[in-house]
Amino acid sequence: MVTVKINGKEITVEDGTLILNAARDAGFEVPTFCYQADLIGIGSCRMCLVEIEGQKKLQPSCVTPVLHGMSINTESPTVVSARAGVLEFLLANHALDCPVCDKGGECELQDMVYRYGPHKGRHAEPKFKFHEKDYVLSPVIIKNSNRCVQCVKCVRVCREVVGANVLTSLNRGDHQEETSFLRSFLDCDQDGNCIEVCPVGCFMRLPYRYKTRPWDLKGADTVCPYCATGCRMVIEHRDGVVIRARAQLGVGLNSETLCARGRFGFDFINNPNRLTTPLVRKRGALEPASWEEAMGLIKKNFSVGGGKVGGIASPRLVNEELYLFQKLFRTVFNSPNIDSSSRWDPLAVESFVSAASMHEGGVSIFDCMASDTLLIIGSHLSDENPVTDYIVRRISANRRMNVIIASPRAMKLDSSATQLLRHLPGAEDSVLEAIILNLNYDKLPDETLKPVKDARLEALLSTAGALDKEIKAIARKLGASSTVAVIAGTDFLRAPQSIPALGLLKDLLRSRGKKVTVLPALDRCNQRGAWEMGVHPGFGPGYSRVDKKGLGCDGILAAAEQGELDALYIAGSDVASMYPDGEFAAKALSAVKFLVVQDIFLTETAKLAHVVLPGASFAEKEGIFTNQEGRAQIIRKLLPPPGKAKRDFDIIRAVGESFDPSFGPKNPVLVLDEIRKEAPMYGDVSLVFNNKKNIEDKLDNRAALVKGAQSAALKVSRIEPRADLGGAEQFPFRLVTGNHLFHSGMLSRMSSSMTGLLNAAVIEISEGDADALGLRNGDKVSVRGAACEAQMTLRTRKGSGKGMAFVAENFEDAPVARFFRRGKGAPRVAITKI
Amino acid sequence: MESVLLKNIGKPDAHRIENYVRNGGYRALAAALKLAPEHIIQMVKDSGLRGRGGAGFSTGLKWSFIPKDPTVAKYLCCNADEGEPGTFKDRGIMDNDPHLLIEGMIISSYAIGASNAYIYIRGEFVFGARRLEAAIKEAYERGYLGGDILGSGFNLDMYVHRGFGAYICGEETALLESIEGYRAQPRKKPPFPALSGLYGKPTVINNVETLSCIPAIIEKGPEWFAGIGPAKSPGPKIYCVSGHVKKPGLYELAMGATARDIIFNHCGGMLRDDRALKAVIPGGVSAPLLTPKDLDTPLDFDSLAAKGSMLGSGAVIVMDSSTCMVKTAYIINRFFSHESCGKCTPCRDGTPWLTKILRRLEHGEGRAGDVEMLESLCDNIFGRTFCPLGDGAVMALRGALKNFREEFQYHVDHKRCMAC
Repeated sequence: MVTVKINGKEITVEDGTLILNAARDAGFEVPTFCYQADLIGIGSCRMCLVEIEGQKKLQPSCVTPVLHGMSINTESPTVVSARAGVLEFLLANHALDCPVCDKGGECELQDMVYRYGPHKGRHAEPKFKFHEKDYVLSPVIIKNSNRCVQCVKCVRVCREVVGANVLTSLNRGDHQEETSFLRSFLDCDQDGNCIEVCPVGCFMRLPYRYKTRPWDLKGADTVCPYCATGCRMVIEHRDGVVIRARAQLGVGLNSETLCARGRFGFDFINNPNRLTTPLVRKRGALEPASWEEAMGLIKKNFSVGGGKVGGIASPRLVNEELYLFQKLFRTVFNSPNIDSSSRWDPLAVESFVSAASMHEGGVSIFDCMASDTLLIIGSHLSDENPVTDYIVRRISANRRMNVIIASPRAMKLDSSATQLLRHLPGAEDSVLEAIILNLNYDKLPDETLKPVKDARLEALLSTAGALDKEIKAIARKLGASSTVAVIAGTDFLRAPQSIPALGLLKDLLRSRGKKVTVLPALDRCNQRGAWEMGVHPGFGPGYSRVDKKGLGCDGILAAAEQGELDALYIAGSDVASMYPDGEFAAKALSAVKFLVVQDIFLTETAKLAHVVLPGASFAEKEGIFTNQEGRAQIIRKLLPPPGKAKRDFDIIRAVGESFDPSFGPKNPVLVLDEIRKEAPMYGDVSLVFNNKKNIEDKLDNRAALVKGAQSAALKVSRIEPRADLGGAEQFPFRLVTGNHLFHSGMLSRMSSSMTGLLNAAVIEISEGDADALGLRNGDKVSVRGAACEAQMTLRTRKGSGKGMAFVAENFEDAPVARFFRRGKGAPRVAITKI
Repeated sequence: MESVLLKNIGKPDAHRIENYVRNGGYRALAAALKLAPEHIIQMVKDSGLRGRGGAGFSTGLKWSFIPKDPTVAKYLCCNADEGEPGTFKDRGIMDNDPHLLIEGMIISSYAIGASNAYIYIRGEFVFGARRLEAAIKEAYERGYLGGDILGSGFNLDMYVHRGFGAYICGEETALLESIEGYRAQPRKKPPFPALSGLYGKPTVINNVETLSCIPAIIEKGPEWFAGIGPAKSPGPKIYCVSGHVKKPGLYELAMGATARDIIFNHCGGMLRDDRALKAVIPGGVSAPLLTPKDLDTPLDFDSLAAKGSMLGSGAVIVMDSSTCMVKTAYIINRFFSHESCGKCTPCRDGTPWLTKILRRLEHGEGRAGDVEMLESLCDNIFGRTFCPLGDGAVMALRGALKNFREEFQYHVDHKRCMAC
């Protein structure tokens, strides 16, 4: 600790604190442009110059650490005149077109000139202009360099946080311009973090352009509805149209960052195709109906006992709704047949939850990043959880730690890895078992290890497609670390035979006295919440034991196909599009005697329904999302649901009350009370602390992490791998699926910004494979599997493994679910040029 | 004084290694490799050699900051980005006597424990870069570079890195950025390059002339070197004389020669006898100018600093009575604003503003208050920039304003020049 004097006030701060932060701690404001806490300081804008006693020149406080006994003046006449001087220089070539600038009203330059600046301009020379007209950098980013203050935050955030490295400075001196290479169209993550950090109206959102003034916006501090990273963001509307989503510096684990989906993918809310009225099937067609009519049909067709009913709820509903949904089935319909995913096998989910120790409570990603070694496996983090990728990149760059990435596909985060392992798709088990064989595993009971001990290392290496030395190096790093974090992604759920090895590695490392945390990387905003609310056929709220185990999505569909299912209630899930074997799903859903679908769009599933209920989007309700870390965060209502649509909470409660008038608490707050009782993990979850600004907590709002479950009824099951569809000679590529950077599930397909970035399906193979086939990036190709054929655009990726083709799960024109066959393993495809 | 740095220049094929060796070259290297590195650093300290790039920092002291840990990679960078207008001394050495520099660099690398050395040469010096490449090849062939140099066990690889045509590349940390492949913009200091320089490793950056002094210090001893010129900044110094003199060129003199001595004894006096001396820029265009009353100031680091100017690179630019000071200031300022890297606000936006005003003054479009405005802008730039480039621009202009304010005012009042 050092003691310094700032404007005569003594303050004791930690060694190495920057003068700027010490001054702010002491309560003095120091203006800055180029400083941002999580970017490397460059000290270039000179706004933060301060006077240090004994030093001739003013010093930039944003890069100068305090020294013991320093006497600093932030308000002396020299400092004040220097600030005004800098602002005068910044304005010299500034466009001063505030009346037409999108930033006007929330512009840092405006604010600072108002506060510190010269209020009279002396610059009477011709201004330098970069260009006459603003130029479009991408479908979502537009640029006006004439307003730039050269803080270079855009370039730095792109390089240091996003890792896209597509922005730089052109030219020098007053002609220096931060833009893409030769101002070309940006081929990047399109996340708009450059816009977020821009203090002026230089980088701007294209969809937001000329739509409003900041003071006409009303906003709600909420949580992003896409992946499970759980980014805090503010969405803002004007006259009922949501036109902006923005992150807040120092708030939420994401701070100022968001990904493309989060920042631009909100416009599905105002999509004209939103469902605004209940629909009822009459003479074969869905027709608008009243709520009474729809509820009457539900009351008639759902039997409270005896008949076989099922429910599937989306992991995008809030916890209160999910809790009520499982309560509806378990207590009103007396049916344990509920699930929260159309893609994952319930047994796999239970095993994954147990192997990843999710029942032990929340795990902060910042704790994971404080460990000696981070292993990322089974996740294409850069595309599925972009902001998690940013956090890993940013923190790992500034501390000594091992970052091991094991994945079949190359990803942007690879550049942050200290070791990369390219293994064969679906071979996470072989990779982990080979690592275990290289660790000292004596301390574990024999029976748990038997399957691994019986394995031969050579065989494992060959199924993993890994080299002995690579595995040994990973084992060495894990062995030498006292804290290990594993980020385990959804590929474990896609290839569930790998899950036991994950659990085993965790137990083994723990048995050797290491602190091991597992962070599940999930791709739906409230997937963890859905499980923890008990929307699962095998466990109840808080992973509690249930008396009667039921059918999961797969079992429900199988029963439906056999004509055994009397009624099915699907809330928010598009089973027909997402279930791996689209043909089977469509057939099964058509065979359900009574299908109720509650959604915000008329999805493929809703088109098959007998009754369609219009629900609410995340902007139209309150509730809690539990992110992948187990952080319970509140979403806030910004708008009322459109037309006759209702909050999903109200719909589920109404369904329940039509059978049992005493069903369910009247409002979400009371549901939360019930959740606290039923799921003690949520005992401390409160609506108050979750949304407080947490600059002091350094983005890590630990109070929001859920507690461990006292008794969890979970076990890891060995799940035999499904037989591959075969046909390697005819179909040389193994199909790998997942989410695209711009699309997550079917929700983003309803956002015109996101479909503007990418609309048609793409298939991604490695550069080497493309060369061998004589194909090039951008070619139109025909992708043929045993069951299905589709046309897509080819993307090549450097560094990916061979013999593997990636297709995102999200495109209607290439429904990847149709390549799958129920009960079979990963399909294979052939790619030919059209 | 006996010539040290320019001794081989003018001899036929002096750039060839056989001629360099015949003239006594690489003897200092052989001697140095028998000494302990600390011993060499001490010799350089004792010699009193100060950096010839402009700042005049003690070379031996700079070397001694390099950590001694043998497991840490270290680098030597030679700053051959000679971009200051009026300066052409390093070019003279590199074009004509490249082995002198190479020998100095090998000895310096040995002293600081570097096994990689870079010569960052100004992009426009195509000829010099080719000469150096060829000379380095010759040195490798003769075993002066590469592995186990002269059987000493010391290894050194040397590279020529051509610059990209920006003045800022001569700023030492911008030079490092440029070698690493980034935009040449200065880095914040601390950390100083001696602790974290090229690729984050301890690095010494020295000027060509500085490194070329090293072989002589080894061969003739630090006492001999310290005996040349003033005690506080000893040694030979190359003065680059240009402007209105009869014989412009490179003059190697003992440090501390006066401008009068240089102009009237060595350069044969003013170009035209009917025009009197008006001003002398003593050390490159960022050095404030001297007027005839200061002609007897010794041109060394300390004496010039006492006069409010600086030795800089030793570029002596002589101007006679026909020179318009407004035009001079305009041209100098235009150079700085063109070369401003764009990193910090005062330099990036301040120097072009100055240039625009000076351009108006020079073109007869001056406005009342322009001179005061120039002074006020200088105050807003000076001491507030990231690196010395902005300060240099201001110092030159302030020097002109201080000594020739009436000329500037004349341009404002009469829309024309009083000198020409």
